[in-house]
Amino acid sequence: MSDSGGPDVTQELRLPWDEDPDDLYEHAPCGYLTTLPDGTVVKVNQTFLTWTGYQRADLVGHRRFRDLLSSGGQIYYETHYAPLLRIQNEVHELAFDVVCADGRTLPTLVNSMLARGPEGEPRAIRTMVFDATERRGYEKELLFARKRAEDSERRIQVLQQVVADLAAAPTEAEVAEAVLRAPEPAFGAVSSSIYLVDAERDTIVAVSSTDPATGDGDDMPRSSPRAVARVAERGDLHVVGSLTEAKEHFPDLVDSMRRSGRNTVVLLPLTTGPADDQLGAQTLGVLAFSFTGERRLSDHELRVVRLLGQHAGQALDRARLYDDLRRREGWATFLAETTRSLDELHRLLARARRLVDAMVPEIAVWASVRLSVGPDGVLEEAGTAAPDGDQLADALARVTASGRPLFPAPGEAPGCVVLPLTARGRVLGTLSLRMAPDRRGVAGEQHFLTELADRAGLALENARLYEQERQIARTLQRSLLAGRLPSGDARFAVETYYQAGAQDLEVGGDWFDAFLITGDRLAVAVGDVVGRGIDAATTMGQLRSAIRALAGEGVGPARMLEGLDRFVDRVESARMATVAYAEVDLATCELTYACAGHLPPLVQEPAGSPEFLLDARSAALGSRAGDRRRTEHTRTLAAGSRLLLYTDGLIERRTRPIDKGFEVLAREFARRRDAPLQGLSAALADTLVGRDHADDVCLLCLTLGTEERMERSIGAERMQIALLRADLRAWLVSHGVGPETRDAVLLACSEAVANSIEHGYRDDPFGTIDVVATVTEDAVEVKVTDRGTWRGAVTDVARGRGLQLIRQSMDQVLFDRSDGTTVTMRRAREAE
Amino acid sequence: MTEMTDQWVRFSRIGDADLVHLSGEIDLANAGEIGRAIVSRIRESGKVLIDLTTVSFLDSAGVRLLDALVGDLFAAGKRTRLVVGERGAARMILQLCAFRQDVLATDLDRAAAELSS
Repeated sequence: MSDSGGPDVTQELRLPWDEDPDDLYEHAPCGYLTTLPDGTVVKVNQTFLTWTGYQRADLVGHRRFRDLLSSGGQIYYETHYAPLLRIQNEVHELAFDVVCADGRTLPTLVNSMLARGPEGEPRAIRTMVFDATERRGYEKELLFARKRAEDSERRIQVLQQVVADLAAAPTEAEVAEAVLRAPEPAFGAVSSSIYLVDAERDTIVAVSSTDPATGDGDDMPRSSPRAVARVAERGDLHVVGSLTEAKEHFPDLVDSMRRSGRNTVVLLPLTTGPADDQLGAQTLGVLAFSFTGERRLSDHELRVVRLLGQHAGQALDRARLYDDLRRREGWATFLAETTRSLDELHRLLARARRLVDAMVPEIAVWASVRLSVGPDGVLEEAGTAAPDGDQLADALARVTASGRPLFPAPGEAPGCVVLPLTARGRVLGTLSLRMAPDRRGVAGEQHFLTELADRAGLALENARLYEQERQIARTLQRSLLAGRLPSGDARFAVETYYQAGAQDLEVGGDWFDAFLITGDRLAVAVGDVVGRGIDAATTMGQLRSAIRALAGEGVGPARMLEGLDRFVDRVESARMATVAYAEVDLATCELTYACAGHLPPLVQEPAGSPEFLLDARSAALGSRAGDRRRTEHTRTLAAGSRLLLYTDGLIERRTRPIDKGFEVLAREFARRRDAPLQGLSAALADTLVGRDHADDVCLLCLTLGTEERMERSIGAERMQIALLRADLRAWLVSHGVGPETRDAVLLACSEAVANSIEHGYRDDPFGTIDVVATVTEDAVEVKVTDRGTWRGAVTDVARGRGLQLIRQSMDQVLFDRSDGTTVTMRRAREAE
Repeated sequence: MTEMTDQWVRFSRIGDADLVHLSGEIDLANAGEIGRAIVSRIRESGKVLIDLTTVSFLDSAGVRLLDALVGDLFAAGKRTRLVVGERGAARMILQLCAFRQDVLATDLDRAAAELSS
């Protein structure tokens, strides 16, 4: 077969001994079988018999080759071996397990050839059987090695993924979550749980768990005898391989392992610091994972587990630093924000309210501020889940007494942090905060809360001082303005109105005054002191007294103001105060007035339009740059004239130019020409500035002389009746009408007006009612006119009684329904 | 809104009777509110004295209110007196309206004693 000219190796070599062909067949290094085409054994060699333990007689003529195979082999024989052999006449290296006489199986490799007769018909099968025991072993080993390599690679991949996840996890919570996900894919663990060490509170916190084997998810002190705490302290991996081991080392695990059907638990400390230095390492947490069935971890797996612990520890450390930084930034922002927000409000209650609202839900789930201020103290609360009342009261008392904050451990009474609110060394009150239940204590939190309480304490103390000063100033102002104004003289009537500025402002220095210089000379004044608060209030009081002292018979407004200038030169806080001052001779209705920097008085005579009194103007009191030559102006007013003095709060509006303000005031004053004097000032203030105004408003309205005829026009509104009655009563008194007639006229007039409102204007809320009263020596007559439509008035029982009363109390009653309704009522005056 | 009516009506006890003290001007504008305040307080009372001696003005709406109050108390079998003094606005108008003399009283203590007897 070789053309290379070398020795012909096919040439039969002479063997050094005689080879007996039979012996060669019987003891060949492989088994030989000859079978019929149906597989019945006809010849078999000794090697096969030795391997399988059969006797030759058992097989030859009795068994087919397929009978010797395992059940799987028999199927393979039918489906592959036999058809292949028939088609190809030979098969090679087919693996069969031969069942030996003693039931063992012998792994073999089989080659067979089909011999055919001259007609091509199958005659015999020759089969050669090789012992494949060792080869199968190698294969298994190979498979095992491959599987191990695959497992390891998978673990590495899982670990790589975890490490990548850890690197991307910025917060402790996310790190914990990434670590928690690792044991199942990496080691085939059934479940896992993670615990983090809270050094500040000396506890181990159960963060998250799918694992019932290591406990019930409760936090525990670091000194706990439980397995997790022990492993955290030792800082070294611990594998609890079985229940027996658990019993021996960590009895606390036995029950939970048994209950959850776990047989192996791995407790892995998550550490940071140098890997090779156990002492320098710091345990930041513990990862626990468990297996059903006893699971032995290979050395390689244990190395990987440890590696996971170190990676996770480092990620935790980094995340903690990051969390810490972020938290501190958050705190700083919160402190600045809260302080600024508290500064926006001046009042104490408002600040206390805003403080608790800022706490919930940002810092706490429940917050309360208690201040020992005033007779009842202040209590503001926000959020839900208030702590137990008795425990809290006890804690509050302790904190108030000691002035030191109370940070109870988890589960300890009163279940909330109590911080003293201190300012200038005094405990003003307390701030109590209940943190969210799942919130872990974080380093520096106590410091933050203490600082928060300090700032809040200062803000609240400032508000309290503000409140105190404001109260004093208001009281002072009220007491100064409360003095009785002259009244009871039919020749004039004075009405005043003071409206304090919107809530958060301090008191202003607006004031009014009216006093009799002599029996026939009345002085009225309205002024405004620069500034606010107690200083303004006291200065206002001083100026008011100074005017009363300076005014006198024969002095007059100009000289009075000069005296006031001298006064102001000595009382600096009164400088630049403004005053409108007028004196009225009640006998002649002569008005003399002067304005020192103040808005011009407004006068309304019975006929004509209102006029601003623009003469006799000079600079504010004590002015250095202004014209201080004080002059005065005199004019005579008709009886029934009204004079209005006011402060700038009445007409100055940010949204309206001042000349527009004067215009509106004149118009509104004119519109109310016939309105009752009582309530006029308040109504003007209401119309011009409304309720929610920034500045104080002060008004003084003087009505001069007794009207012979009282003419009033009122809105069809129930509240107006009382105002009209007051005016009418004063008018009747001023004309000397006796009490019985007076009461009768008041009753009849009220009923007539009520009828107009109830019936005439039942469908018209904007209707007006005119009332004209005249008085003679003998009688009083009142006319009440409306332009409404009366319907069914006379049949109405209640109103019927009203009409009845009118008839009973007056001597003569006439109804004129030609244009609206006019009731004319007359009653004779009683003998004086 | 009880506090809005506080300036016109106050409540107290005299002996075993409830005392309703009215003052100021009672007219169409406030009679309804005052009536509601009184009814809510005397619902459980057995005896009621209504003191009108410091009422400075009473109009027909006030008369209607008093008439309704007294009528309801009588209907419920309760005893009541309106104390109006010797003179004054309330007496004048209640006389004009011809209130029964046995309902009116001039002296508070005597009226209280009458109710108890």
